[in-house]
Amino acid sequence: MKRILAVVLAVVALGTVAVAATKIKAGFIYVGPIGDYGWTYAHDMARRIVDAKYDWLETVYVESVPEGEVETYIDLLVRQGCNVIFTTSFGFMDGTLAAAQRYPDVIFAHCSGFKRWANMATYMADFYQVYYLNGLMAGALTKTGKIGYVAAFPIPEVKRHINAFTIGVREVNPTAEVHVRWIYEWYNPAAAKEATEALIAEGCDVFAFTEDSPTVVQVAAERGLPSFGHYSPMYVFAPDYVVSGQLVHWEKIYEDFLLKVYNGVYTTRNLAHVDYWWLLAQGAVEVGADFGMVINPKWEPFFKEYVIAHPVFGRISVYDLVYIRLNQMADPGVTFDPFQGPVYDRKGNLRVPEGMWLSYDSLITMEWAAAGIVGPWPGEP
Amino acid sequence: MVWADWLVSTVSRALAFGVPLLWGTLGEISAERSGVINLGVEGMMILGAFTAFAVAFQTGSPGLGLLAAAGVGGVAALFHAFLSVTLRANQYVSGLALSIFGLGLAGLLGRGWEGKPLAATLPSLALPGLSRIPVVGPMLFQNQTVLTYIGIVLAFLLWLLLFRTRWGVAIRSVGESPATADALGINVTLVRYLCVVFGGLLAGVGGGYLSVAYRPAWTEGMTAGMGWIVIALTIFAAWDPLQAIWGALFFGALYHLSYRLQAFLAPELLKLMPYLFAVVVLALSGFGGARWRRRAPGALGVPYVRGER
Repeated sequence: MKRILAVVLAVVALGTVAVAATKIKAGFIYVGPIGDYGWTYAHDMARRIVDAKYDWLETVYVESVPEGEVETYIDLLVRQGCNVIFTTSFGFMDGTLAAAQRYPDVIFAHCSGFKRWANMATYMADFYQVYYLNGLMAGALTKTGKIGYVAAFPIPEVKRHINAFTIGVREVNPTAEVHVRWIYEWYNPAAAKEATEALIAEGCDVFAFTEDSPTVVQVAAERGLPSFGHYSPMYVFAPDYVVSGQLVHWEKIYEDFLLKVYNGVYTTRNLAHVDYWWLLAQGAVEVGADFGMVINPKWEPFFKEYVIAHPVFGRISVYDLVYIRLNQMADPGVTFDPFQGPVYDRKGNLRVPEGMWLSYDSLITMEWAAAGIVGPWPGEP
Repeated sequence: MVWADWLVSTVSRALAFGVPLLWGTLGEISAERSGVINLGVEGMMILGAFTAFAVAFQTGSPGLGLLAAAGVGGVAALFHAFLSVTLRANQYVSGLALSIFGLGLAGLLGRGWEGKPLAATLPSLALPGLSRIPVVGPMLFQNQTVLTYIGIVLAFLLWLLLFRTRWGVAIRSVGESPATADALGINVTLVRYLCVVFGGLLAGVGGGYLSVAYRPAWTEGMTAGMGWIVIALTIFAAWDPLQAIWGALFFGALYHLSYRLQAFLAPELLKLMPYLFAVVVLALSGFGGARWRRRAPGALGVPYVRGER
């Protein structure tokens, strides 16, 4: 009897080993609730898309994980048998690195950070090109010459977005200003609401933002003011007023990464230099009010009729300008970048020399404020 | 007319942001005047916020949502009343438990509701005639919901009730000296139950305002500490409903200005301002305020047992 039991156990054990080699169980750790309609929602949408596509893939997730407790949740996922773990907040970086060192047989990928290890890669889908395209539209839309921007934290990622947006605004409307308010929170609808109200009180009439809720879009729409959605399709929240926005396709990165793990390209020993920095050209981000809707059809005639004198293209409608720039950046052989010199900061310093583009390092450590930005800028060099 | 712009936007935003604080504070004043401190405001408000959103979403009626929020707030307060009045449990512990329980329960029930857009929101009113008055119109009579005005009227009514009626005398005497009130034939238990439950109704509506009017959506933890500010405001208002109006307005103005003034002052500092205010008020009432302490109900936080003193 004992012998039979031992045989059964051995078969079961062998079976699990065989299965583990051909199956991937990926765990996702989120910083917010999956229903935030922002950052975490977008990651979870991507997880579901990839999960549904491949039989060999099983996924699990934990949401609303406090940044200091990421290691506890990694332990949990490892115990549940995950062999690939994605951690999706900058604040998870050090915890993920420590866990990667403790679990050398598990593959880790950390979103938006810069620390890597033999079994820990990094990845990011960045919006700066998309913000620039939205800026082109915002420059045409403003009547008061003041555009409001509600921003979460004064960190390089957010500053890069505001700068790219402002460069777009000024390309169409060289005298327009971008007024910035910081809420020091990724997710606080009340704060986002009061910050928007403060900007409205100051005369801003077009809105963009970097924080994780549709609040800015909702508040602007209440007053009949146009805005740009962030992260997920916010068209549904104000179909008449969401002009365009920034959309993400994390599934492009997750699919690429997991396929390479599945095919043995990525192992627990060769990830120290794997860093995804995916933009329009890789299809990881999209410009639009909704997927497939670059400009809200209600606003298309406005941009077609709004003609400017452009230094490069001469007389051109903003509608055409947006599409030319989009194609230049979405084409695999990218021929344009928003941070294309000469670019000056608001103190008059030349930040990008004539004809040059910014390096990846300069982009991810950006602290300066582009000309046209009005308002506080903590950490301004 | 720059100053007029500032005045208009600050007062208008102070009213809009002050509404949930005013409703909550009036409720807490009601409870504390009868001698029961209820630290469960945060819990009652968040339960109200969730209930109002869910009911408004299902029925398409924000009014029904607010009624349901009041009901849920009242039921939550009933638990506190049962524990602290009938079972004579420590009021502070019972209230804290209610806050933690409310936040947890609302978060759990609200899982599937996060991020859903609410079609039926409580509309902003533009009062005919009044809203056209220059400066005063946009300041007081535009972009406010009906809860702003009901809240202010309620503050006056509560003041009249507490200080100008026999019922008010009964409530205050129960809060000052329940033994004396009992000897006079006042039903201490009944008065305390009614006052605490009434407070819960108001806190529920205050929370509901957040999710169907102020920023129509449900978010876990969306009261973000308002319940604790209500406790501070109750002390700041010295348990007087009329002063609660000023307290709520003042706090609302600070919150709005913390974003408005970012162009001139360090945003990190401004972000602290409203909370700094709460701390200062509590500190003042703690050591500076023999006067303040005198105005607190004498039996606040003390369970009543007949025959003991």
